[in-house]
Amino acid sequence: MSDAQTKVKVHVENVNKSYGDNHVLRDISLDVSENEVVVMIGPSGSGKSTFLRMLNQLETPDNGTIVVDGFDISDKATDINKVRENIGMVFQNFNLFNNYTVLENIMLAPVELGKLDKAAAEKKARELLATVGLSDKADVSVNSLSGGQKQRIAIARALAMSPDVMLFDEPTSALDPEMVGDVLNVMKNLADSGMTMIIVTHEMGFAKQVADRVVFFESGKIQESGTPEAVFNTPKNARLQEFLSKVMHA
Amino acid sequence: MLKKFGFGFAAIVLLWLMAPTVSANEPHYTITTDATYAPFTFQDKNSQYVGIEQDMMKAIAKREGFTYTMKPMSFNSAAQLVSNGQADGIIAGMSITPERRQVYDFSTPYYKTGVAWIVKKDSKIKSLEDLKGQTVALKTGTAASEYGLSLQAKYGFKVKYFNDTDTMYNDVAVGNSAATFEDMPVIQYAIKNGMKLKVMNPNQPGNAGSYGFAVEKHKNKALLTAFNRGFAAIKKDGTYDKIVAKYLGASQATFSGTKADNETVFGILKSNQQALVSGLWQTIELTVIAIVLASIWGILLGVMGVSQMAWVRGLSTTIIYIFRGLPLMVLAFFIYIGLPGLTGVKIPAFTAGIVTLILNEGAYTGAFVRGGFEAVDRGQMEAARSLGLPYGKAMRRVIMPQGLRIMVPSFINQFIITLKDTSILSAIGLLELTQTGSLIVARNSQGFRVWAIIAIVYLILITLLTWLSRWVENKMTMQ
Ligand SMILES: Nc1ncnc2c1ncn2[C@@H]1O[C@H](COP(=O)(O)OP(=O)(O)OP(=O)(O)O)[C@@H](O)[C@H]1O
Ligand SMILES: [Mg+2]
Repeated sequence: MSDAQTKVKVHVENVNKSYGDNHVLRDISLDVSENEVVVMIGPSGSGKSTFLRMLNQLETPDNGTIVVDGFDISDKATDINKVRENIGMVFQNFNLFNNYTVLENIMLAPVELGKLDKAAAEKKARELLATVGLSDKADVSVNSLSGGQKQRIAIARALAMSPDVMLFDEPTSALDPEMVGDVLNVMKNLADSGMTMIIVTHEMGFAKQVADRVVFFESGKIQESGTPEAVFNTPKNARLQEFLSKVMHA
Repeated sequence: MLKKFGFGFAAIVLLWLMAPTVSANEPHYTITTDATYAPFTFQDKNSQYVGIEQDMMKAIAKREGFTYTMKPMSFNSAAQLVSNGQADGIIAGMSITPERRQVYDFSTPYYKTGVAWIVKKDSKIKSLEDLKGQTVALKTGTAASEYGLSLQAKYGFKVKYFNDTDTMYNDVAVGNSAATFEDMPVIQYAIKNGMKLKVMNPNQPGNAGSYGFAVEKHKNKALLTAFNRGFAAIKKDGTYDKIVAKYLGASQATFSGTKADNETVFGILKSNQQALVSGLWQTIELTVIAIVLASIWGILLGVMGVSQMAWVRGLSTTIIYIFRGLPLMVLAFFIYIGLPGLTGVKIPAFTAGIVTLILNEGAYTGAFVRGGFEAVDRGQMEAARSLGLPYGKAMRRVIMPQGLRIMVPSFINQFIITLKDTSILSAIGLLELTQTGSLIVARNSQGFRVWAIIAIVYLILITLLTWLSRWVENKMTMQ
């Protein structure tokens, strides 16, 4: 493999997905390089979540090619569990495991999958808790946490597997406004540390700040993509212009 | 289709293999009877099976040098068990009829009888014509009931069926049914013992006939020959007459105990202590074994129901569908009587009862276990999978612990249902609490007091079971 190829972390080519008559993704192609932060924006129902969830096989595409970290996940022979170990995902609704404490949530996957022994996993979990600013919450039940705290734990849980790529699906949409900043801060630090990230969000200010590239989704297609400056300041696509005028004046 | 039957069948065979088997050098037979049929067969105050038939059988076996196990159950089950080869013979006041001769070989008749029609002691009914539009109580599968049924068109009465003699008598005595039909000596014995009924045709019994001992047609020739030879001998030497006189000339106290033993709750408790304790124990045994095994089987079905493999899910759904759909009693009869008829493998009643409960309660358990797993938020599974956990690990570590917590109330509920359902197994002759009650009432005719006692015992058991479950639940949620 050449240098240029290893730099591509996520390679998507001509992917289609339909739910019955609803053609949700139409011939999507997108490459994401190592250390790159890609922010996806677009109206509700345009296919952003479906696209993101296809990158770790929570949804299967009807056709096309998806290569993550060098693994062709559209190939049935690929062990999807192995690939998923290297792709962290953060959900809108946190999805912390209700039957475990905060620390156990973070330790579960590395221990179960034999990545770390118990002691090492706990050490790592405590470090991650410190990074997301929640060291004092290690032994509480997850149901006692606020939304913002839950989302930061969810990020720590994903990071415990030392992933190469992190996927975020509207991580701040379910949060009270005063909680949003804490979560975005954690994400910004993560971006600064060189993590490859694909983020679906409606936080345009955050997108401008951290994105290397902004991708605009509409009707299951990538209508426009480019640097934050290009997309936000000089949009070319008419639908993007319309979308931006709505969200910016909302 | 074959697979799911294979499953149930494997379970049955397994339990059968674990059951004890009898072995002996002299011929040993299994003989069925109906123990609610005084004076021919009933349970006396010491919980022994006695009566004209029982004493006869004892005398004949002794003379002819064979041994036997007597299995009391409902008349219908008793007859079917012999006709499909699960038991060797039946002695249960069985009238010899041409239809029955197609299925059974009968001994020489041992008692001449006929059908009486019977009303409440102070009833206004004077003749069969007065029964028009009224309800008549009949016992399922007896010759007396067939005789009654043959009069139905002519006299225009409605029919209500019962499984045992005493419930049927009581239904007439309390006025729910206007009349009933029963074999003459049986009703005469009951009236003598205080049943408030009267026979309307003491001198003209309908359909006069005889009782015979029966074996499956063309089978068990040796047993039938021995019976006939022995019967001829005890008739000749006067033993038979003594036996009949002993029961038909007896007063109530001889077999049923004194008035004090029967007419107070305390007296009934005291005089039936042994029978009640062993009935209670049998109920507890059935309940505990069934709860444990049905829960294991149900959880397995529930886990299969959320499997990633479609055929495993389908298997679970079909098993649940079949065994939830079958009424418990039908399933019990099918396993105890139907299956051995097909396979020729005898199944002890206790084993059949346990298998019935496992299949039925397990299906209900399987359904709510699967439901509980499915009720866990989908996001939990997605989060677990996105971390790289395989489906099975995600299930075991994340979904199942949460699902089981949701299910605790359903489990407690199912345990209580299981306890109550054990009473249905009295139909296949298991001597649990309900059957014990039937036998006591058959002897002393104290329906109200005995059933009140049995009901209270069930309530106490259910209360204890509920407390125990709650206690376990609290322990679990505290962790
Ligand atoms: N499991 C599913 N079954 C059927 N249709 C689905 C399913 N998931 C998504 N869809 C449909 O696919 C389309 C795209 O949905 P998707 O969730 O990807 O949009 P989105 O861009 O993430 O929207 P939002 O901003 O509201 O989250 C929608 O029309 C949605 O109704
Ligand atoms: Mg979405």
